[in-house]
Formats: sequence, C-alpha cells, structure tokens
Amino acid sequence: MRFGLSRLSLLLLFPLFSLTGCEQPQVNFVFSEKTNELVPEAAKPVKEALVRQFGNPFELTQFEGLPTDFGDVEGSVKTVQASSGEEKLIRFQVEGLQDAYPKLLGLPLEWTSGKGQGQISRIKEYNYETGTIAVDKTADIDPQPGDTFLVECTRLQFGRDLYNRHCMHCHGMSGEGTGPTSRYLNPPPRDFRQGIYKYTSTKPTAKAQNADLERTVKEGIAGTYMPSFKLLTDDEVSAIVNYVVWLSIRGETEKKIVDELFFDYSKKVVAERTSEDGGESREDVMEELKEYMELDFPDTLEFATSSVAEAWEEANMEDAVVVPETPRVPDTPESRERGRKLYLGDKTKCATCHGPQGRGNGTATQDFWTNPATNEKYPNRGLHDIWGNQLPPRDLHRGIYRGGRRPIDVYRRMYSGIKGTPMPAFGGPLSDEELWDLVNYVMSLPYSSK
Amino acid sequence: MGKGWCLFFLFWPVAAVVSCAMAPMVGWSFPYDNAQAASNLGIRIDGLFYLILFVTAVVFVGTQAVLVYALWRGSSNRDERATYTHGNHKLELIWSIIPGVILLFLALYQMNLWADFRIKKYFPEAAVKAPIAEVTARQFEWRFRYPAIGKELQPKPQSDDLYSVNELHVPFGKPVMIQLRSEDVQHSFFLPALRIKQDALPGLQIPVWFEANKEGVYDLVCAELCGWGHYKMKAHVIVESEADYQNYLKNLTQQQFYDGLGKIAANENDSESEATEK
Repeated sequence: MRFGLSRLSLLLLFPLFSLTGCEQPQVNFVFSEKTNELVPEAAKPVKEALVRQFGNPFELTQFEGLPTDFGDVEGSVKTVQASSGEEKLIRFQVEGLQDAYPKLLGLPLEWTSGKGQGQISRIKEYNYETGTIAVDKTADIDPQPGDTFLVECTRLQFGRDLYNRHCMHCHGMSGEGTGPTSRYLNPPPRDFRQGIYKYTSTKPTAKAQNADLERTVKEGIAGTYMPSFKLLTDDEVSAIVNYVVWLSIRGETEKKIVDELFFDYSKKVVAERTSEDGGESREDVMEELKEYMELDFPDTLEFATSSVAEAWEEANMEDAVVVPETPRVPDTPESRERGRKLYLGDKTKCATCHGPQGRGNGTATQDFWTNPATNEKYPNRGLHDIWGNQLPPRDLHRGIYRGGRRPIDVYRRMYSGIKGTPMPAFGGPLSDEELWDLVNYVMSLPYSSK
Repeated sequence: MGKGWCLFFLFWPVAAVVSCAMAPMVGWSFPYDNAQAASNLGIRIDGLFYLILFVTAVVFVGTQAVLVYALWRGSSNRDERATYTHGNHKLELIWSIIPGVILLFLALYQMNLWADFRIKKYFPEAAVKAPIAEVTARQFEWRFRYPAIGKELQPKPQSDDLYSVNELHVPFGKPVMIQLRSEDVQHSFFLPALRIKQDALPGLQIPVWFEANKEGVYDLVCAELCGWGHYKMKAHVIVESEADYQNYLKNLTQQQFYDGLGKIAANENDSESEATEK
C-alpha cells in the first residue's frame, strides 16, 4: 500500500499534538490586573518604577532597605592567569567567595578597587571548585592581585533558581498564583502579592515570620496540594523563603501604589470624568496626572516600599509571635465541655460557620456574602477569602490541620484567626483558658463518636 | 554480505556482555553500596535477578554466536546456497521444552521468596503484630502516622497518634511492617536500596514489611507515574538504633503536643527534622 499524503500529514502533525501539552510558563514578572486597568499614562510610570526597583526574573535588582537578604559577596583577586593575545576573556582566581551561591554565572561584578574601580564586568565563566572567574577583556579591566570586587544579589538569585524549579509551576513566576498547574488545583495556589499568608505564628495584624514560611515549605500543607519539601536543605528552604518574601514585597508595593492611583486614574474613572456628566477634559486630567507623577509619585513609591518592608521586618521580631500566657489546660472531659459551650455560644459564634456539630455546614455557608474589596455581593453562597476563592469552613471532624496539628498551632489559629479568610481572631475576646478549652474541644472532635 | 557486517554484528553482543560485566564496577548496577542490597530479602531478590541474568546471558551469547557463525560462513563461501526447509519437529520440541523447563524451574525456585515478600502469613510474626506506621502516599509526598509510644497502630487515627511527613524513622535490627495507603491516585512505595516495591491503591490498606541490614538513610520514592510532580515524591527512610528510634518518637511526641511554652520553645518554629537532630 502506498503511503498516502494524508498519512504523511498525520505523521507530521504527531509531534505538534505531543508538544501542545508542553506549554511554556510565563517568563516575566506580571503586573496585577489593577495595574493594567489604569490609563496607559498612569500604568507606564508604575510599571517602570517596579522594573527599576525589582528588575525582572533574569536580572533581579536590589535596592536598600528591604528585609530580604540580597546576598552581596565581596571578593578579591588572588592570581591572574596569563592569557594569550587572541583570548577574549580574562581569567583570575579569587578569594572570598567560599560561601557564595555556586552559580555566579552571568551576574554583574563591580570592581571596588584597582584600575577598573567603578566599572562593572559580567561574569562569563565561574568555577565554584577552583574559584576561577572569567570576565570580558577591555582596556579598563585589568585585574591585579589584591583588587577587590563585589557581586550583588547572589542569595536572591539562589532563591529564584530554587523557586523556579520547585514552586513556580503552581505559584507562578511572580508569585501571582497562576503557574501552569494552578488551574487544576483546588484550593488554588496562594497569590503572594497581597503579602498575606494564612498560617502564621504571629499576631492578627502581623505578617508571617520567615520561620512560619520555612515551616510551611518543609512540612507542606495537609489537605491541599502544597507538598512537603523536607528533603531540601535548611539553606535552600531559607533561600526560597527569602525570595518568596521578596516577591511578596514586590507585589504589595505594586498594590499600594496602584491603589493610590486607581480611584482617579483607572480607565473606567477617567472615562467617567471625561464624559459629559464628569465635565472634565482629558487634557486637564492628564495634566493633573502629570503633576501627580512629578510631585507626589516618588514619595508614594518610597512610602509604599518602606512601609511594606517595615511590616515584614516587624513580623520577624520576637514580640510579633503569639505566645500563650498560660500552658494548655489539661485535656479533660470538663475542659472539652467548657470548650463545647463556648463553641456553641454567642461569644464565639463558631457554629455559625463550622456548624453545630463541626461539620463545616453552619448557616453562614448559605448566605450571600459581601466582598470587602468591591462592596458587591459574591455570586455564590458561602464564605470567601480575600483572594476571591469560595472557602468552605473546615469540617473539624476530618482531623486535617492545614496550619499544623500541634495544640499551639490550633491555639494560634483561634488567637489570630486565619489571615485573609473570614476566620476571625479571638485573641482579645477570649481568655487564654477559654482558648485552650476550645482547642481541647476542637481537637477531640475527629475522635468523637458523634 | 561482507565480512565487515559480520564484525558489526559480532561487536554488539560483545559490547553488551562487556558493559554488563563492568556495570557493577562503574556504578551502573543496583543502587547503593557496591550493588549490595540493604536488606536480606533484597539480597535474595538480587540472587534471583542474577540467576535470570545468567540464564538469559547464556542464551543470548549462544544465539549471537550461532548468528555470527552463520553470517561468517555465508560470507566466506559464496558457492554454498541456503536451502529452505519447512519445520523440524525435533528442533521445535527442543526449543519449546528447554525454555519451558527453565521457566518452570524459575517459577518454583522463587516461590518461597515471593511468599516471604508478599504473603502476610509468611511475614515475620513480630512485624505483623506491631506495624510501626501507616504510610499514606499522596500527590506529591509521603505522610506517616505512628502510634503513640507503647501503643499499637490502629486502623483509624487516634488522638495521640504521631505524624510526620517525608521522613520515616524505623528501628534497626528487626523486621518492620507498615500499612500502605493512598489518598488520591495510584502510587508505589519503592525503597530501591532495600529492593522493596509495593503499589499503593486508594481504598486499600496494604501491609509491607522490610528489614534493613545496615543503619542509614535510604531513599523512598514513588515508582508509579502519579502526576506531574511524580519525580518530586521523594522521602527518606531513616534506619537507626532502637534507642535513637525511641528518642525520635519521644521528640515527635513532645513537638506534637507542644503548647507554645516549655522546653522546646527555643526551636519551636524549626521543622520537626531540625528539632530532632542529634
């Protein structure tokens, strides 16, 4: 039988069919939807400022004042290898990079002394074992033994590489929670750009501690698709968390500056302002925007970055952690009974969401709730989190504790609530003893016969 | 066909045999410690593997030698013509009966090993009596549930059970049994160093026993393509002395019932593995 044209074309199409599954993930930091809803004249400077402050995934930019570790390393030239005339690179052995991230390749190296002081060379080759670096040969770059240099941002690069390898697939390139796998996951992967993390050891208004995020990476989140990465080394986990916090700060800074602009300069508002009812001309609005950008925007940016950075810094202080004043009340039937009464009582209203029996089917799950961000009702009944996902209250009988199953974890969930969700903080209204009674009751539910 | 082709066809079986023989020396053979399994059962499984390898090698080398001989003779004698014959009853019998006998021998020979490995009746009694943990595979991690110290593992979770993830500690010097489950799809509990492999099926609880013959940290991987993160589904099985194991359980208990105050406050935010580091 002849091998017909149709068969041939089918054969040729085969690789195409097989490749459609291998879609490439987004390779740049994405801007938030809100940024893209600004008029172009407002969106452009916002995007430029973000790129200036944070760079892109291939070239992370560092700027002062962030609580993340950029990992600058200083080194000095030990010996310079004599190179032949045609060689385009200068190779030299260095000292001082023993603790640096092994992949310095491609990073900028700034000369801090010697003839090339102030010049920047790009690292073309780097051998971690021998400590040899090669850079482009130019008239100004003439390394001599003893010359010092600085390589910036190595820690963040390390974190980025690990993040891209282990986390990006779900959480996305810029931590926006829309990686290639995200569409198959429920609950969806966290969008880091609000800077809010659910399971922390910190007080209700505080951000997460690095240690909380490290714990989440290592232990995973039971009952969700977040797996445990326990086989990574402590150093790797801490580098990932460092990068995740950095992504959070980037996202939050963007949110803050866009929130400032949104009420006056979103496409919708500008259209309204320049309509017949609004009565303003587009030129006037743009003139006003230009003035804002020149006079106030630098301060807004500065304030946004520093306030976000400060919040992260404060969360890592010792006094940000929730520490009970009294130890756990012994887990007795009496304590559980007191907890049950609290659970059903008006003081906590736990049953409204979690249901009278703790099955996660309280009356609140039947209401239409209002979105606090837009002041509009959600289209579906039930509770929602600030990321806009429908959020059924936990069935307390399942024995799955996403934020950790230690009594202290459950205590903290009650004390500080679950950030970003309607689970409120009871740290004020309830005493320590009452919280522990509740902990004892809730933790007994999976093993009760009811 | 020229003599060059004969050499070409001679080269491949020789290369195959040589690389196979060299494999253990260059680390291409079984994983861990010079291809020696880390469990006694594993060593027996390896023995079975080598036996089958030997039988197939003899057949392979034999048939290749005949092939090359035939090619060589054909290429050096252009006058002799090949003749077509239709079947040879004697030959058919020989090449049916010999492999049949070999297969039957292998089937009978490995039955004890299979029974010891897979049939619960033949499991070491001590291991069956006290399963040390329930292992739950899920996309893409391994979760472990131990009974409280001094208690037996119950099929349903108990309030004082101990939990950990991606790090299974087992005592050294005695056979241990786990109850294997899957939370979502089909996974496979694979300890390459110990030659233990068992599928985990949703809805089933499958007992698996093993005994490491030396202390150490062994990889536990998933051997069933279970989703995109399959390759990440990796854990450690830490085989340690009974004392260390008890110590680990004690530590785990302490952490699990930690109330934010008291002794382990200093490293409360550290992960479980860190807090138990000796």
